[in-house]
Amino acid sequence: MPDLVQMAMGIGKIDFEGQKLVEKVYQIALAVLTLLSFVVGFALQDLRLTVGLFGGGVLVLFIALLPPWPKFNEHPVTWLPVKRKLEPKKQK
Amino acid sequence: MVLMVAVALSSLLLSADPKGKLNIVNLTTRTGGTRGRPRAKIDQIRVNFNSTADLRPLFNWNTKQLFVWVQAEYISAKGTQNQIVLWDDIIQRKEDALLNLRARNEYVIHDLSFKFAGASPLNFTLKYNVMPYVGLLTYGEAATTTKPIPFPKPLEK
Repeated sequence: MPDLVQMAMGIGKIDFEGQKLVEKVYQIALAVLTLLSFVVGFALQDLRLTVGLFGGGVLVLFIALLPPWPKFNEHPVTWLPVKRKLEPKKQK
Repeated sequence: MVLMVAVALSSLLLSADPKGKLNIVNLTTRTGGTRGRPRAKIDQIRVNFNSTADLRPLFNWNTKQLFVWVQAEYISAKGTQNQIVLWDDIIQRKEDALLNLRARNEYVIHDLSFKFAGASPLNFTLKYNVMPYVGLLTYGEAATTTKPIPFPKPLEK
């Protein structure tokens, strides 16, 4: 069972630098998208346009940011080398 | 969510206050039963009216539909204020909001005491309710009759 968990944790993994990048991108993208959707819809007086534009934009963001693209794995964590377990020393 | 709040607030900028005309063509009384109570003796009025009002300015991107109705107001013999809806309609398209009505009351109009004797003259108003996609419901008055109309005398005793 733990193997399954380990395997599941491996899917979609991105490194920490990647996570930072994703966060910055979606924060800016959503703010811009909200503003854009409102302005375009308001100017053309079409609420469907606003909602559609926003929804479409969100889908694009999903495709760009949810999968573990190689871009988000360019700075993998460098783990320390594995230490071999020492034999337990007998006390007496 | 910020987007929805912005849309709701935009309605405040886009609000309008259209006015129109409401005329009562005919007002008669009868005393008799209703569909639910065929043998009762209930005072009722029958109103024919026409009205013109251009409510199209109320339609903006955030307007889902308009609820429009005509109501009659009077003070009963007991001194209570009464408002009765005669007629109503739901308008879902801007084109349909250019009102040019010739109609009569859709509903039976009677007093809670079943008698109109001693009641004050009637005033009629055309009112509307704007239902947005996102935001608060708003109400307005589009037209009203200028002179109060007294209840007609019963035709025979």
